[in-house]
Amino acid sequence: MKLFNNSYELDYPWNQVTAANWNKYPNEVSTHVVAVDVLRREVKDSGNVLVTERLITVQQNIPRWLIFLLGSTQNVSYVREVSTVNLQDKTLTLKSCNLNYVNLLKVFETVQYTPHPKDPLDRTLFKQEAQISACTGCNVSKKLTNTMEDWSIKRFCDNAKKGKIGFNSVLRLSNEETSNYK
Amino acid sequence: MGNIMSSSFAPECTELKKKYDSCFNEWYTEKFLKGKSIENECSKEWDNYIKCVDRNLVKSGIKPALDEARKEAPFENGGDLNKD
Repeated sequence: MKLFNNSYELDYPWNQVTAANWNKYPNEVSTHVVAVDVLRREVKDSGNVLVTERLITVQQNIPRWLIFLLGSTQNVSYVREVSTVNLQDKTLTLKSCNLNYVNLLKVFETVQYTPHPKDPLDRTLFKQEAQISACTGCNVSKKLTNTMEDWSIKRFCDNAKKGKIGFNSVLRLSNEETSNYK
Repeated sequence: MGNIMSSSFAPECTELKKKYDSCFNEWYTEKFLKGKSIENECSKEWDNYIKCVDRNLVKSGIKPALDEARKEAPFENGGDLNKD
């Protein structure tokens, strides 16, 4: 199992960031996310909490050695995400895991957006953690398990970099359209 | 709002999704964030969209993996979406 951690600041207020979160895709950078669907959505706690389950469709080329392991050239995969917006705590938490090839690779991700402690009205803190485990349900060498985990961490890291640039471009756009969030 | 909206995994649901998303986005910024709403008001758009999604989850074979993940659901104990 390998861990990935990442955090950065966004120069937009928390309310605006949570609204833009629903429109993060498509963006010009994260082109691997080809579709986003809402599967369930509930308002709770007298309108203070919004829970959403989504299906994220990802299409990205995979290396030849992995095609061999998967026994498939299919490069579409699905991620299930459950998110909670809490207006009282001012948190948006997104938790996700891949749906296919789970015996070969499991990627659990947690993302949290909170108002920046030093500048809560104007900036937002982004924190991301991922836990990547290869071959929880298959029988391959330790070396291959490590190779797969290293490859996944690298890809995850590349996608996270794209995510940051892409989300900033979506936020810039949303900022031009409205200044109605404060 | 002039945001570009994402497609559905099922092309036939994309139009319905865009209608739902535009209703939801408006509700989210104008009502939910301002603490003015205790329910999601886009029920007509939602019903049309989710019917399409549910049908296509089965048709495309994603449903079994999704059900399995929901059952396992290690991360949503606090999310309460598990109470089917």
